[in-house]
Amino acid sequence: MSRIDEFFIGVKPQREWGWLVITYLFLGGAGAGLFLVSLYLRHGWAGALGIALLVAGAALLLVDLGRPERFWRAFFHPRTSWISRGCFFIAAVVVFGGVQTALRIMGLEAEPGTPAATVSVVMDSIAGAAALLVMIYTGFVLAPSPAIPFWNSAFFPMVFFVYSLLAAIDILILSSPLLPGAALDIAWLERSQGYLAVACLILLLSHLSIMSGSAVAARASIRLLTHGRWAPFFLGGVVGAGLIVPLAFFTLAGGSDLKAVFAVTAVLALLRLFGDYLFRFLVIRAGMYDPLL
Amino acid sequence: MARYGMVIDLDMCIGCNACTMACKAEHATPAGVFYAKVLEKEIGKFPAARRVFLPVLCNHCDKPACRDVCPTGATAKREDGVVWVDHDLCIGCRSCIEACPYGARTYYEGDGAYFKGHTTRFEAAKQGGIPEGVVMKCNFCMHRVDQGLDPACVQTCPTECRVFGDLDDPHSRVAHLVADKKARPLLAEKGLEPSVFYIGS
Repeated sequence: MSRIDEFFIGVKPQREWGWLVITYLFLGGAGAGLFLVSLYLRHGWAGALGIALLVAGAALLLVDLGRPERFWRAFFHPRTSWISRGCFFIAAVVVFGGVQTALRIMGLEAEPGTPAATVSVVMDSIAGAAALLVMIYTGFVLAPSPAIPFWNSAFFPMVFFVYSLLAAIDILILSSPLLPGAALDIAWLERSQGYLAVACLILLLSHLSIMSGSAVAARASIRLLTHGRWAPFFLGGVVGAGLIVPLAFFTLAGGSDLKAVFAVTAVLALLRLFGDYLFRFLVIRAGMYDPLL
Repeated sequence: MARYGMVIDLDMCIGCNACTMACKAEHATPAGVFYAKVLEKEIGKFPAARRVFLPVLCNHCDKPACRDVCPTGATAKREDGVVWVDHDLCIGCRSCIEACPYGARTYYEGDGAYFKGHTTRFEAAKQGGIPEGVVMKCNFCMHRVDQGLDPACVQTCPTECRVFGDLDDPHSRVAHLVADKKARPLLAEKGLEPSVFYIGS
């Protein structure tokens, strides 16, 4: 249904992509990141959780389509469309990663040096590369948009990669008491989160700094995030609760005692996940179209 | 092969929205869906305030971003430059809406009857081929253009502020206007090379 502001000349917000797409960005990135981390840790159950999150996110994307029964057509234009490419990346993680994860969980990993081991390495490599691409391709979906200047940034694929990894490790920390398989080194995971949070903060501030000198609509997006209705969520949620508070705890704790208390680590992980989801929500909702005149 | 384009003289537009209505009648677009519309803005301050009108439609770009982002190929460009949506291929992902800087596309959720719960005979006859959950946009009235007619908005405009024709034909009026009157496209900096130009202020 049209809105009255459609008939006026001026900066206009994007309204087409809502919480289903936003939640996909979060779950898809976190799931693919978790799968990638599971390959590094050789942890089958973590990989299974990652694939489950990715599938759940993709299901939301399917629900968001106007004609979900035609979803298979989205595989038809990988030559120019990042959404089409993303479909292939997701399918590769689910198929190759799914087989490898199932074998790992069932303890059916190939003996080293055998042809089966070579096939296994190839499948892991394909699934790992696809997971990496799932983490960043959404940045490429947004970045080339000529319509919404706030998204026109080479930082987006990088920001999405780091945020996906951050969410993946947070989910791993939170699920570690329930996850079957080898015990996880929570202290190491928490330490890596400190570095990732710093990277997120640098990338985020760099993006805002570059955009503040960009087109009218990009400046309007930044105003919305720093002075407008989304400011409490962006400054308080994404930057404060999601990055600064966990970083402050991490720094104050000196890196040892804090990690021994799982409850504190879990709270920090929840704060970061909250900030991560809010980041994706605000990136999408703060998108604005340039005025035509 | 022709490359169709349009020139709109803003000095002649009186904001009557005849083009909007002609387009609605021609395509029977559902409620809330406008292929062509007239945007307006108030500029200046009393006593020198005035309203500016900007008739807009799909710009049928030579390098359409909407076509490139479409994952299904539902958005295509014909050899004559007309960019159109095949509703049978569209999955309703709306990525084209996010890519179009001109706001020329609308997502149709369904139930496009103007009177809720009651479909008029006109709507029933002309909206039958429009599936729900797809993206819709102006197609330069290609069914009319293929018969040698002007698009409905051009045909209807009472001030004749719209001129339609072949941009590649140096003898066409539209090509002359583009060449002579310093016609400019909207948001030229986006690099999409639109086929709709504006003259006047």
